[in-house]
Amino acid sequence: MSQSTATQAEVKRRTTLAVIDCDVHIQPVSYDEIKAYMRQPFRDMFNLFKGRGIFDNPLGRTTIKGNTPSGGPIGSDPDHLREQLIKPNNIETAILSPWIYADFFSDPDLKAEINSAFNSWVHDKWLNSKVNHDGVFKASITVSHQDPNLAVKEIERWAGHPDFVQVYLDSGSRAPLGQRQFWPIYEACERYGLPLAIHVGTDGLGGNSRFTTGFPNHYVEWLTLVPCNFQAHLVSFLTEGVFERFPGLRMVMLEGGAFWLPGMLCRLDALYKSFRFEIPWVKKLPSLYMKDHIRFGTQPMHRPDNDEHFRYLLEVIDAENIMMFSSDYPHFDTDVASEIFPRNIPDRMKDKIFFENAKAFYNL
Amino acid sequence: MASHIVCKVSELPPGERKIVELEGRSIGVFNIKDSYYAIKNVCPHYKVALCEGTVTGMPLPSKVGEFVWGREGEIIRCPWHGWEFDILNGKSIFNPHKCRVATYDVTVEPVHENLEDERVETFNVTVEDGLVVLHI
Repeated sequence: MSQSTATQAEVKRRTTLAVIDCDVHIQPVSYDEIKAYMRQPFRDMFNLFKGRGIFDNPLGRTTIKGNTPSGGPIGSDPDHLREQLIKPNNIETAILSPWIYADFFSDPDLKAEINSAFNSWVHDKWLNSKVNHDGVFKASITVSHQDPNLAVKEIERWAGHPDFVQVYLDSGSRAPLGQRQFWPIYEACERYGLPLAIHVGTDGLGGNSRFTTGFPNHYVEWLTLVPCNFQAHLVSFLTEGVFERFPGLRMVMLEGGAFWLPGMLCRLDALYKSFRFEIPWVKKLPSLYMKDHIRFGTQPMHRPDNDEHFRYLLEVIDAENIMMFSSDYPHFDTDVASEIFPRNIPDRMKDKIFFENAKAFYNL
Repeated sequence: MASHIVCKVSELPPGERKIVELEGRSIGVFNIKDSYYAIKNVCPHYKVALCEGTVTGMPLPSKVGEFVWGREGEIIRCPWHGWEFDILNGKSIFNPHKCRVATYDVTVEPVHENLEDERVETFNVTVEDGLVVLHI
């Protein structure tokens, strides 16, 4: 095959590759849309949207600049989302979630009300039969960890709706998320067959526990170090025996990276050999729970300069089996499906990461 | 296979161990509730003296949140990194299929039979006290 023919084949392939995007963010035109769903006194308490406080993104909350033709910010208009993201990237299914940051607050009732209002808004605005006529949009049931019973109530509001396909937790929390006080949430996930998504949010901020020594000085440090929190959560899930207790539970970790996995899992496996007696319910090397239960979003995909190193990294973390494409549209570090992999990445791996893994994970 | 007298039965009471050097190998011989077992005195991890570790039990694989102590006296923990091994079969607890230590047969034999075997070292023992014999 000549060079030009090969290139043409690659271009054709790229344009026909179906994609499931596991992390697409949406937002209201204004927060009045959300407040309309809130009861008093919470509606008035939500007058000032806090974001993530001291570590709000200095580039802005929506970093693809501009407005939609209907006048709202990017990510607020379903038709525009289709034009800017869905069609150009051949996305067959987009898993939607608003960025809420309710876990910045300390009040569990306020958090629950905020989440509940956002979930209602997602349902009414994005999942109605007119907007979602072709079913391209699937959505997340957002809950907060702090009061698991309130989280379960919210899950039960939406469980069974065909377009709510996962339960969504902010990775900012008061304790490592594998701990038993949070298990009612995972029990509900298992009972309703809903995967659990854990997504970067208010990590270490507001009412949540710090996950690094003290406070970093800059946003760039905070965001670089977020994987530390994901490591804490992952180790917690594996050692607390969450997947032994809930063998049907599946989980996806979004935006916390994955290239740290080999070092962390080797360390955990090694220490398991010495300290198994602490956690006798863990019945095999902790890393062996990964493939059956845990997936990772691809974004932000950090690519080494050397493409062969990149391919090797993907092989080492078993990316073919544990990664699912996510764009994180419309944030500043959004990834574009056709651009994240160099040409030396095997088609089989790409097919699984772009489509097959998510299709199986979400039972699409 | 050679047979070696380790000691008199009375010199290895239940719960005790004896480490012997035979044919260039260091081997731990254990009396567990009057049954005898032998494992190589080399941890497969860093080749250190496994048989000098603590003989103990273990929390059995359990339901999440439960602790069930069992196998008392049948587990040895390497003195270096604490890896658990089943003295009865040499298998590690954390990965019995892939990580194990060699085992050897141990028998208790009356004195007179072994005295006829040229390969066996002899001790002065009384007839009513059997011999712990290691086969390697």
